[in-house]
Formats: sequence, C-alpha cells, structure tokens
Amino acid sequence: MSYKIPMGPYHPALEEPYKLDMICEGETVIDAKLHIGFNFRGIEHLAETRNHIQVIALMERVCGICSNIHTLTLCRAMEGITGLTPPPRAQYIRVIMAELERLHSHVLWAGIAAKLMGFKTMFMTCFELREKVMDVLQAISGNRVNYSMNRIGGVNRDITDPQAILKMVEALEAEMARTVIPIFTTSRTATSRCAGVGVLTTEKAIALGVVGPVARASGVPQDLRKAAPYAAYAEMEFDVPVQPAGDVRSRLLVRALEIMESCKILRQALAKLPPGEIHTEGEKFAFTTGTATARVEAPRGEVMYSVSWKEGSRNPARVHVRTPTFVVMPAIRWMVKGARLADTPLIQASIDPCYSCTDR
Amino acid sequence: MTLLEEIPHKLGSNEAWVEKGGVHWLNASALSVRKLAAVMNELHARFITITAYQLPKEEGFRLEYHWDLDGQLLGFSFALANNSIESIFDLCEAVDWIEREIHEEYSLEFTGREYEPLLLRRGDTSGVNLRDVASIKEKQ
Repeated sequence: MSYKIPMGPYHPALEEPYKLDMICEGETVIDAKLHIGFNFRGIEHLAETRNHIQVIALMERVCGICSNIHTLTLCRAMEGITGLTPPPRAQYIRVIMAELERLHSHVLWAGIAAKLMGFKTMFMTCFELREKVMDVLQAISGNRVNYSMNRIGGVNRDITDPQAILKMVEALEAEMARTVIPIFTTSRTATSRCAGVGVLTTEKAIALGVVGPVARASGVPQDLRKAAPYAAYAEMEFDVPVQPAGDVRSRLLVRALEIMESCKILRQALAKLPPGEIHTEGEKFAFTTGTATARVEAPRGEVMYSVSWKEGSRNPARVHVRTPTFVVMPAIRWMVKGARLADTPLIQASIDPCYSCTDR
Repeated sequence: MTLLEEIPHKLGSNEAWVEKGGVHWLNASALSVRKLAAVMNELHARFITITAYQLPKEEGFRLEYHWDLDGQLLGFSFALANNSIESIFDLCEAVDWIEREIHEEYSLEFTGREYEPLLLRRGDTSGVNLRDVASIKEKQ
C-alpha cells in the first residue's frame, strides 16, 4: 500500500520554502512531485521600473549566495547593448570575485551537506572556512554578501594589494586541502552516506538539461568557463572535474575538486592581474534599441540574462533571468525515485538548491 | 559544413545566421517550433530557456527559444498567433517548468500538453505575475 509524505514548504530538513510530495511504499520513495513559488517575488517585473544603475542593485538581490554572479551577468548583457568593453584589469577582478564566490558557495554547501549527513564537526569546520572566504570578499569589496562590485563597463573597486589577497587565498587553500577535501573524498562517513544514493543518470541529466556541478557529477562535461569563456577565463588554466556515477557522492566530489580548481584560478588571476583602469572611465554610453544575452558559470551552473532596451528609455523593457536551480530542481523527482525516505533531505540538498533564485 | 551551417539546411530554411547581442539568431518566422526542437535534439544541442516578451499595445507576444550548441548560444524568435504556440514538452523534457512558468506568468498557451497545478502560485488565476495587472482585470 502506498502513502503520501509531504515535505515542506517549511521543514526542519529544508529550511527554505519548497514542497516535495512523496509517494512511498514502506520506506521507499516511488514517485514525487515538486512545488515551488511560495515566495515568488516578481523581480523581473520590478526590473522594468528601475534605471540602469538601480537595476544592478536589484538583481544583486536575486540570490543571497551568488549575488555577484547576477550583477556580472546583467552587466555583461547591458555591455552588449551599450557596446562598452571592460578594461583587462576589470576582467581579472571579475574572475577573482566569481571564483571567491564559488568557494564561498561550495564551502557553505559542504557544511550543510555535512550537517545532513550527521557529521556536525565537519559542518562547523566548513562554516569556519566560509567565514575566511567572506573575510577575503570583504577585504576586496567592503561587503560580506552583496558586494556591489560590478558596473556597466567594469568594476567599482580595485584590488590594491593582490599579494595580501593571495596570502589569504593560499592560507584558505592549505586549510581546505588539510580538512575538507580529504574528508569528503576519502572518509567512510561521507562515502557510506552518499555512494549510490540519489542517482541521476547521464541520459536523464542530458534530457533534463541540468547544469553546473549536478551535470558534471552525472558525467556531462559542461562548463561555460571552458565552452564559452568570458571575462579573463580564456587566460586561466584549470580543469573541469567530472564524475560519472551521478550519485550524491559524485556531487560531493565534483564540488570538492572544484574548490581546488577555484584556488588554482585565483592564484593565477592574482599573480597576473594587469595594470590599468578598472572601468571605462568617462566614456559616454547610450542604450540602443535591442536585446542582449549573457551567460556565466555560477557556482550552481549556468545563469543566463536576456536584457531588452528601447533607445531613449530610462528603464529596461525586459529583464529575463534563467537561474541554474530552476533547471536543476526538476531532476530531484528522478533522484528520489527508489531512494529511502531517510535519504531524501540529503538528496535534495545535494543539488545545492537556491529557492531565492527559483522564486526570483 | 559546420554544425551551425547544417541547421538551416536541416530546417529547410534559406535564412542565414545573424550574430547579435551574444546570440546566433536564425529567422524563425516560417519555421515550426516542433521541427526546430527535433533538429536541436538530433544535433544534441542543450535547451536553455524561453524568454517571453509582451509587445506594445495589442501586438501580442513574442517568444525567444535558446539552445546551446558546443558553447554557441542559438536564438529563434517566434511571434505568437492568438497567444498560443505548440508545446515541445514531448520532444524536450527540459522545457517543462519553463513552459509552465510562462503559461502562468503571461496566460500563454502551449498547445498539446497538459499542465500540472500552478507552479508559481496557488490560486485560480494565471497571468498576473508579470503581465500587466490592469489588462487582466479589464478582461475579467
């Protein structure tokens, strides 16, 4: 006999508004339905009432974790309409901020995953490390969450002492290599709790069009930093970690390895930071009629912005945001099918869902 | 012939690609969205999203479909007749939530598919999230 277990929209294992209705037989999940939109904010509509400066501050609030990525993608789209090209130093600073944000996001996720595994000491270690990443972000931008770094044609703040930031990054990397990476890649606790759980096959990942670490953990080697490089990524050497198994452990491994790749990129970008301006100072620009689209590889995968403007207009005619969680979340249905009920909170967390992005 | 050059040929179109605003655009006015989805599947292109645009006055809506082909962003624009267009859900599973969201935000119909209960909000009115609220009220 089957029965329905509703999880959410407010649940101790899911501290954000989202609902999963699971059909179970005994302890096994047979099928599931997802419900989102409990806090839909209509930000795209609101963006049509903001000018080109205000809209950056607004879109920075789409996500609380990858706020910088949203302004980066938006600014790249607006640069497509205005024809402005950021100077090389700004492109490097954009890479540095994007990779620090990836570190912040992945370490935060690792902490939450550890907590859901019942590995609370690891949770504390990850959150301590996250604080250190946030210290670096604060040292650069003056802010811990919404960094206000991006503007049309460049960035707002310079990195005046790259060596000092480099030292902070090296300390961070050493700490991650000593604690987080070995535990997540070799510990029995992590392996026994995650291996073979919540599998998303390569075929299903491709069919659902999933992106980011979830796609890469299902054997899909997709990363915009390599496939369609932006900012200064074409000048960086790094690998794209891919795991074929498609289970929670693969998603854990991909993110752990990406932490090390991000550190590698940060070291290169800080060492090679070119001299010069950080934005197109004094250059006049105007919005022409048209639409421009930009994509960026956020910590959770591809973010895409389409921005439409009418010449002479103060505000955008349309801002459309396609966030990674919106395309990854439907995959949960396939991951929980056949899983044990007790594993479902960890399976859901393994996609690193962002409900803020989803209810944009 | 590159994969990009193959697409118009496979679609039976004489149009040429135009690169603008970071996207390779192909004039889709004479194309069937279902044929397009089938060709994209054949080339293993990755579906990204659909963007809906409400046109001024009574001109209706325009939908822009985007696929990724080996890192290249492809765009196809469709003007909607009677606020409806054929669904591609049976050809492209990734489109499910995106069609549902547009249906709910703008009251546009994707024909040939069934919708599950509202994705974005519980209630009995779709199309009030992004579409001009005043025009919805007028209709009611």
